[in-house]
Amino acid sequence: MKGRAVQLAVIMFIVLFLGLLPFALGGQPYYLEVMTSAFFYAVLTSSWSFLAGLAGQFSFGHMAFAGLGAYTSGLLCRYLGVSPLYGILAAIVVTTLFGFGVGILCLRLRGAYLALFTIALSEILRIIVLTEHQFTEGNRGLLLPPLYSGITHVGQYYVTLVLLLVILGLLWWLARSRFGIFLRAIREDEEAAAALGVNTVRYKVSVFVLTSVIAGLAGAIFYHLVGIVTPEIMQLLQMSLIIAFAVIGGLESPIAAAFGAILCRILLETLRGFTIFGVHIELGVWRYAVFGLLLVLTLRFAQNGLFYPIIDYLFMRPARREAVAKRKQEVEDVRG
Amino acid sequence: MLEVRDVHKHFGGLQALAGVSFTLQEGELVGLIGPNGAGKTTLTNVITGLLKPTKGQVWFGGERIDGLAPYEIAMRGLGRTFQVTRAFRRMRVLENMLVPALAIHGRGHIKSLRRKALEVLEFLTIDHLAKEFARSLSGGQQKLLELGRLLMLDPKLLILDEPFAGVHPKLREAIYRFIFQVNEEGKAFIVISHDMDSIFTLSRRIIVLNCGQVIADGDPLSVKEDPLVIEAYLGEEKNEPGSTRAEEASFA
Repeated sequence: MKGRAVQLAVIMFIVLFLGLLPFALGGQPYYLEVMTSAFFYAVLTSSWSFLAGLAGQFSFGHMAFAGLGAYTSGLLCRYLGVSPLYGILAAIVVTTLFGFGVGILCLRLRGAYLALFTIALSEILRIIVLTEHQFTEGNRGLLLPPLYSGITHVGQYYVTLVLLLVILGLLWWLARSRFGIFLRAIREDEEAAAALGVNTVRYKVSVFVLTSVIAGLAGAIFYHLVGIVTPEIMQLLQMSLIIAFAVIGGLESPIAAAFGAILCRILLETLRGFTIFGVHIELGVWRYAVFGLLLVLTLRFAQNGLFYPIIDYLFMRPARREAVAKRKQEVEDVRG
Repeated sequence: MLEVRDVHKHFGGLQALAGVSFTLQEGELVGLIGPNGAGKTTLTNVITGLLKPTKGQVWFGGERIDGLAPYEIAMRGLGRTFQVTRAFRRMRVLENMLVPALAIHGRGHIKSLRRKALEVLEFLTIDHLAKEFARSLSGGQQKLLELGRLLMLDPKLLILDEPFAGVHPKLREAIYRFIFQVNEEGKAFIVISHDMDSIFTLSRRIIVLNCGQVIADGDPLSVKEDPLVIEAYLGEEKNEPGSTRAEEASFA
């Protein structure tokens, strides 16, 4: 009971902190933009962590789905004049269908083969956007109307924060549900799971559809906030960032992965230029080297990521401690 | 209950099964033996849907099941374990147990399923490990977990592939107890093992495979004395310099 109260207090504190942060930041657009971008990456990282860490499907196509969602909504708004809301709904439908198709095609692919397949898929989508520049504006970028007229930086912050909290809540609930247990069983041993009655095809396709839709939805919403989308979003570099964020946060936990993404986005922005002991340092592109170092150190010294051990300590260990205490008591009872 | 009709399985030019046929009645406890490469595991994979037969049919409970997906076969009450233990290592013992139970019953019964899982673990003497990760269990305990998981599927027929391999004698007793008790409840078993002592102690009927064919099918005594079996399998074992004293004793 005490453990549950602590858990609830931690969650409430984090939500409250993030809810009040715009006021603490004095509504400064730069900081709000950084946080909005951090939340967007957190949604993508957590959903990729659900797909790769929980279900064991190492897809490199996640950013392509985000781009697909953004371009679907943007093109519909531009050529059919639909409102962003309908554009986003269409993005959900398109990414659902696309995720279903990819899920079916990837059924028999594992490990490196799945990774290569999804890299190829991302490249195909990126090249389509580039070559059909008369429709998509190619490298110049496609302009998207704002989510709603008069949206402020604070509004953008809260839209992405709410999206992040909803997605994290959904993924947390799913991870603990029958769906989550089956996905982990499939990750561990697909044949053994099937031999125990798990419809592995259905769950593998479902997790592809679910995470594709989350990526597409996040992409559509975020780029309506930013106002422009370019094919750069589908580059392998972007996907590498998502993977690195997830590894730094904690690959097997969508929540830890989301914290990793937020930390890394803030870190990457902070490292552009900062003052320490009165000395101003501008790292520029070198900040990626520092970020790489953090990734290497995490892989070497904290394979479970930086945030997963904290989540494990606060949310999972109490249950284990209870079980151990119960067992000790049972042994003592027998002896006594 | 189970009928295997003229099942063939080819892997390219290799013929793993060459016309295997047998039937199994409800509640039977059958031992399946054969030298390495005889086709025992291939036959199990064909029966449980992991492999499609090249030719032939498999019937279970009056329904043809070859061609069905493994999960569909499992849902019909045909469960199996694997030669090499395949516990879900990064999942807790209790979660391992819940996988088949949830597949059958759904989330609505989670509390009663948890209770049942703990009862089964208690029966297998590993209930104190319920909250541990499966990877932290010993090899023998993982075998017991696999059996418990299988029981949660509530199968009518259990196929156990090498259940005694690498198991401590004390845990072996627990596996014996499991097989006898579950069999008494009316569930049928096919037990595949190289452990001759165990197979001849457990089984009332033994099927011998060699080169993908059934070369003997009968009670343990007749199988022991079958010249084909002695020549193809038992004799070969006896003549091997490394054969165990126990195996030799069982055919003396």
